[in-house]
Amino acid sequence: MESTYALDAQGINKFFHHPAEFQVLKDISFKARKGEFLSLVGKSGSGKSTLLYVLSTMDTDYDGTLTINNQSLTGKGQNHLAAFRNANIGFVFQFHYLLPEFTALDNVMLPAMKLGKRSKEEIRQKALDKLQLLDIKDQAYKPANKLSGGQQQRVAIARALINDPAIIMGDEPTGNLDSKNTDIVFDIFRQLAKYEGQTIIAVTHDDDFAAKSDRVLELSDGYMVR
Amino acid sequence: MTRPTNTKVALSHLTSRVKQTIVAVLSVTFGISMYIFLNGFMTGVNDIQADLAFSTLAHIRVYNDLPEDRTDLISDDQLPSKRVNLRHPKVIQYSDGIINADKEMSILNQYDEIIGMTSQVSMNVFFRNGSTKVSGLLSGVNAANEDKLFGTAASMRSGNWLDLDHRSDGIILGVGLAKKLSLGMDDNVFLKTGDGITRNFKIIGLLETSLNSIDNGKAFIRINSARQLVSKNLSYATDIQINLRDYEKAEAIAAQMRQQTALKVEAWNEANGQLEAGNELRNYLAVAVSLTILLVAGFGIYNIMNMTVNEKIREIAILKAMGFEGRDIVEIFLTQSVIIGVIGGIVGILIGGGVSVMINSVPFEMASLETLPMAYRKSDYFSAFGFGLLTTFIAGYLPARKASLVDPVEIIRG
Repeated sequence: MESTYALDAQGINKFFHHPAEFQVLKDISFKARKGEFLSLVGKSGSGKSTLLYVLSTMDTDYDGTLTINNQSLTGKGQNHLAAFRNANIGFVFQFHYLLPEFTALDNVMLPAMKLGKRSKEEIRQKALDKLQLLDIKDQAYKPANKLSGGQQQRVAIARALINDPAIIMGDEPTGNLDSKNTDIVFDIFRQLAKYEGQTIIAVTHDDDFAAKSDRVLELSDGYMVR
Repeated sequence: MTRPTNTKVALSHLTSRVKQTIVAVLSVTFGISMYIFLNGFMTGVNDIQADLAFSTLAHIRVYNDLPEDRTDLISDDQLPSKRVNLRHPKVIQYSDGIINADKEMSILNQYDEIIGMTSQVSMNVFFRNGSTKVSGLLSGVNAANEDKLFGTAASMRSGNWLDLDHRSDGIILGVGLAKKLSLGMDDNVFLKTGDGITRNFKIIGLLETSLNSIDNGKAFIRINSARQLVSKNLSYATDIQINLRDYEKAEAIAAQMRQQTALKVEAWNEANGQLEAGNELRNYLAVAVSLTILLVAGFGIYNIMNMTVNEKIREIAILKAMGFEGRDIVEIFLTQSVIIGVIGGIVGILIGGGVSVMINSVPFEMASLETLPMAYRKSDYFSAFGFGLLTTFIAGYLPARKASLVDPVEIIRG
């Protein structure tokens, strides 16, 4: 039976051991439907980013179970998780983290080249489509370090989309952008959730951004309060 | 699909920091070229040393060794019932030299490795001119064979070496010896042997080998004249000298020869341990110095690759976030150091060869040398490249491993 949930987290507990023993996530359980646009909010130190990195599979040091796309990911090896991330999760960070010497197009193609499921020409075409979607196709052949901040962030989003991931995770994806670019990014997420059925989970400090999303999850002192 | 992508990332790292890449390449280049130069130089020195040594020394010498100890003649006989005929050891006659050298030579001359063989009759004599008396060594030789073994004819200052075979009264003196005796070409010299026989010889040549022991104290006459001097038969010789194609094999061949003759068979390195020790020590020195240089080059690469990893740590984190595995990261950084190693190696081989040629043309006029010696051995070039690549591989692997262990969460969250 195909579940309608893209992500299912149950009983997530996480401790920081250094400098002192500290429980940062306290028994967090929630599910995210396919095509749902979630905002993750909370004060600094509430654990929202920590939760996002647990959900991203990059942080494996937690208790509880994590299921994405009906695949249980708890206790899997690093290489297995890397391959899983490559195919199923797209990331957008506050900082773009593009490879500065690569062109915008090469940056977008990178995850798909790693996945290796399509020919280079197909990937190239697809990458151009994604850049078109984000309205920066004209910048495709410029090195990433020659683009403006807003353009770089859009390239980073195109890169997150290239493998058509089930879930797109953002760690303050609009944190460095002005309000115009923030609106553009928000609209893109909105459309992806609505038309592509992709689930969006974004950590944000921006109350407007959160208010416009489908559902807001709020963390406070490691508890999920909303 | 991953491979070309990893290579592309690796190349972007190399080309984005051209200066550092060049420094890394240069450190490999330096290490490899020094390795080549040093080993070539040491080998060249060793070869020259061997050439000089083998201009008088045969690879294998066969002679009749006297029993070492003549005082205890019965200790070997353990049987109490055995009858023993005892004589005073001083009156026992031992035959000196090789009575039938021709026969021994035909027995021994059956190895492909042998390229020359000659018999000699050597003895200590006094050379005399008027009241001047000098002691020295006299060798009766077959001039043609002697030249084949030692290239003596090339060291003649005046006269013709091969004339010795036609002149039963001819003698060739070392230049130093002739000077001591105040003698020149066509002068006469008196010889007096240990047994008191004297004879007059005419100087038909002067020899200058640059080896003092020869130039100042040795003379050559025809072998049959020497046999006459010691009153021996026509096949008599004191030594049989044998040269091989490869002097490194002397010990092995000598061991086989011992099975075929009762005479003492001695390889050059048994009689001249210092030569071999010198060669070995110089080789160790060359290897030690050049490996140290390569090690330093390796530290250079290690340093630069470490800097790259630190500089690109966010990039590594994002690659891992996007699904690149630890081995992809290792591959990316190892590719860089291997590229540095290969480029540095090729350039190093060229520069090493160039430096060798330059050093080889530096004038150095001592002994029989004109310029500094140098050997050009393919194996040095191959092993330099191999060691260089190995060094860069190891020096690159450690930072690459470190990069592969980067925790992306830690980096991305800051």
